[in-house]
Amino acid sequence: MKKIHIIAIVVIAVALAVIVSTISNSSTYAPFKTAIENEGKTFHVVGKLNKEKDFIYNPEVNANLFGFYLIDNEGLERKVLYNGSKPQDFERSEQIVVVGKISGDDFHANQILMKCPSKYNGNQQDQLKAVTADGGKAS
Amino acid sequence: MDIQYQGEHLGFGVLGNILVILSFTAALLSTLSYYFSFSKKNELGNSWNQLARITFGIHAISVFGIVFLIYYLIHGHFFEYYYIWQHSNTVLPMKYMWACLWEGQEGSFLIWTFWHVVLSFIIIRKAGTWEAPVMFTVMIIQTFLASMLLGLEFGSIKIGSNPFILLRNHADFVNLPFIHMADYLSKIKDGRGLNPLLQNYWMVIHPPTLFLGFAATAIPFAYAVGGIISGRAKEWVKPAIPWALFGVMVLGTGILMGGAWAYESLSFGGFWAWDPVENASLVPWLMLVGATHVMIVYNKNGTSLHSTYILTALTFILILYSTFLTRSGILGDTSVHAFTDLGMKGQLLIYLVFFLVLSIYLSIRHRKELSSGAEEDHITSREFWMFMGMLILVISSIQIIITTSIPVINKIFDTKMAPPADAIDFYNSWQIPLATVLALLMSFGIYFRWKKSDLKQVAKKLARSFIIALVLTIGIEYYYSFSRVQLMLLLFTSLWAFIANLDYFINTLKGKLKYSGASVAHMGIAFVLLGSLIANTEKVVISQNRLNVDLGKDFPNNENILLYQGDTLPMGNYYVTYKDKTVDGIHIRYEVEYLKADHESGKLKKEFSLFPFVQLNERMGNVSEPSTKHFFDRDIYTHVTYAELDDKDKIKKAAEDEGFKPGKKYQLSIGDTITTSNSLVVLQSLNKDVDKDLLMLQESDLAVSADLLIMDVNKKIYQAKPVFILRDKSSFNRPVEITELGLRFSFIRIIPEENKFEIEVAEKEGNSKEFIIMKAIIFPQINILWIGCILMIIGTWIAIVKRIKKSRI
Repeated sequence: MKKIHIIAIVVIAVALAVIVSTISNSSTYAPFKTAIENEGKTFHVVGKLNKEKDFIYNPEVNANLFGFYLIDNEGLERKVLYNGSKPQDFERSEQIVVVGKISGDDFHANQILMKCPSKYNGNQQDQLKAVTADGGKAS
Repeated sequence: MDIQYQGEHLGFGVLGNILVILSFTAALLSTLSYYFSFSKKNELGNSWNQLARITFGIHAISVFGIVFLIYYLIHGHFFEYYYIWQHSNTVLPMKYMWACLWEGQEGSFLIWTFWHVVLSFIIIRKAGTWEAPVMFTVMIIQTFLASMLLGLEFGSIKIGSNPFILLRNHADFVNLPFIHMADYLSKIKDGRGLNPLLQNYWMVIHPPTLFLGFAATAIPFAYAVGGIISGRAKEWVKPAIPWALFGVMVLGTGILMGGAWAYESLSFGGFWAWDPVENASLVPWLMLVGATHVMIVYNKNGTSLHSTYILTALTFILILYSTFLTRSGILGDTSVHAFTDLGMKGQLLIYLVFFLVLSIYLSIRHRKELSSGAEEDHITSREFWMFMGMLILVISSIQIIITTSIPVINKIFDTKMAPPADAIDFYNSWQIPLATVLALLMSFGIYFRWKKSDLKQVAKKLARSFIIALVLTIGIEYYYSFSRVQLMLLLFTSLWAFIANLDYFINTLKGKLKYSGASVAHMGIAFVLLGSLIANTEKVVISQNRLNVDLGKDFPNNENILLYQGDTLPMGNYYVTYKDKTVDGIHIRYEVEYLKADHESGKLKKEFSLFPFVQLNERMGNVSEPSTKHFFDRDIYTHVTYAELDDKDKIKKAAEDEGFKPGKKYQLSIGDTITTSNSLVVLQSLNKDVDKDLLMLQESDLAVSADLLIMDVNKKIYQAKPVFILRDKSSFNRPVEITELGLRFSFIRIIPEENKFEIEVAEKEGNSKEFIIMKAIIFPQINILWIGCILMIIGTWIAIVKRIKKSRI
């Protein structure tokens, strides 16, 4: 057997392993309904901010708790709690992706992705901002 | 009806369009001429070569002309041109003018084309008989790139995006009425300008470096393709090696600059986030490093030619794929900084598929010439282990590229996969073991001789570095205590890789710099791994929130600290004070002072100040930028995660009633908790034992007090007992004020049906004091990482110099 064959086999084997591990580790874009049915499992939920309801953010009490109401693309609303400070310019976001899981009545997000409309070009120049509750080592 | 527009300078646009078309046609002609130049060996070939050079010259002049013209237009603020309006304005400092040029997609294609032209000059001068086949391939690439600027539209098919399109003809403006008035230009006061986030010296140096790296990968590819089609399939590797090394050096530098930029001025909280755009340039680099290693193997003993070809082609194709990923808009939701689609998705795809099919076709068609016979590398030979190293790099690339391509997979198979919820963790779980193996190969690989080695000798030479590395590992492990075996292994192998290569340089090479390329570059990589291992796993978020409202294990520890202006709080080994904020244009700068307690007097002494800031960026929203204090052995990184940007005056006007804001009423049961802006309040119990004399009440009054327990941010406990009084048929109350907290509590009424009690809480105006929420991280030993980067660059440079000198002899 020649080297090139060994490489081919190794590369194919690794590619398969990577695909399997990626699929098993990947999250899914889903509505709240699916997330509620699979409580405790992580999903990406896409939705819009309910601007009629207030944010929950009292930095002077807890700077690391931010909450808001998100309506998913199917129209279902859930309270989303996020362990971090309120992202800059959150009000302006047009579309929000939250990454996390349902816990009880609320959705616990560990990452928030926001799409903010540009002042100039409408949706052509959408900008995406990511905020992560990054688990660094605590002292 | 024709409108005579005033103030336009249409001549530049005409010139620009001529240059754009010229650069495309000249590239096409040059491609054909170079083809005939090497396919016809006689004198006819020579005259084709002449023509090829002339057409290349025209192409080069056009490209330089376009670059110069756009720069001139930016400089002169000719906003009648959309690209100029979109990317520059009149207030921009000189130093960022170039950055405007490559902020947009058209400009970045242009700079890429520009570098190809520059590198082509070197090839024409130095490559001799290789000129025609190599330039033929380069000019195919140039033809494709030049078409990206054409801006032709045939119905719904769009070829390229033209940087000289007029503002009034652009799709965003063409439907606006004012744009069709003769004096529209006088209404355009200024351009949009360079995105403030990019107004940064990194934006001036990072993109051109990265694109030079991109351009450099095309040259080894051109040697491979040119070599095969001109019947020199076995000869192309040697002259391609210096170019491959050059690509490793420049692309590597470009990627690291991107990391340094993210670390210095974007608040990602680190230098590498496995962002799709970062990955898209890292993968071709890894592939190129692999390709370079097998090129050296082939050059030494004539094996692995076919793998060399495949890797060289893959490197270039991955560069195209990365361009496709970042510019087609396909990354959409998964990346923070991809370009948006300019309608060139199809064109980019054609470009990618063309070179992919060409490479596969050549690989199959010429497999006989590319095969290197039956001879196999011996397991104790250096080439065997270099080959293994290449294999690990390929595996690592595959993992990164597949995970990054999830949006592409979704498009093709119509699935709804999302990236792993903790993407960084997922990448690390694959890449840490791979890096460990790679470091291991780097440590002993260089001690093996070509062809075959005596294992005892190798072991003897390795013993010293092995023991030193082991001792150091134990020492460092004792100090940092990485709990995971995986990390300990990487610690050991990266240390060993560094020491073994240092040992090799000193004792085997006797310090001869000329031959030290590989060992210095490997020392660099070992330090990059070591530095990122320590900085990433030992980073400490020192800004701990002090009021831990536990949300359960779903959430990581609370990492943001609240600082009132003027207050001093302990944080890690320091005390921090938020001193002041200053507004400087669109930047709000916060002065944060770090203090340390003096050992003897116990007094706080200022150590240094940091100035993180928030940029009020109309285009991206408000952006928080960090400020970092660099020490020899660690960095202290600080950024503001939240600040009240609104004017406080508005709230002040609402103030009334002795400086108290209107109170909030709560209906509470015993045991209920409410929050105020600075504390938690619990209704503990009701108390009928009220000292009526003290409150000067009548004996017949019915008085009840609500016993409230108040805990402030520093966990200090206060008590308040507001009293509710019933006298005859009427009721009134006696409020209690906690002056330290600026809170006033009143017991308003009792609701017997629900067994609830209404408490009113009023807050002093001063309670909404100016504050910031801040995050601070210590990155230990991050300088090892940067030293590693520099060593890697130096090592590669030494290797290039050696190769070039060798080829001259």
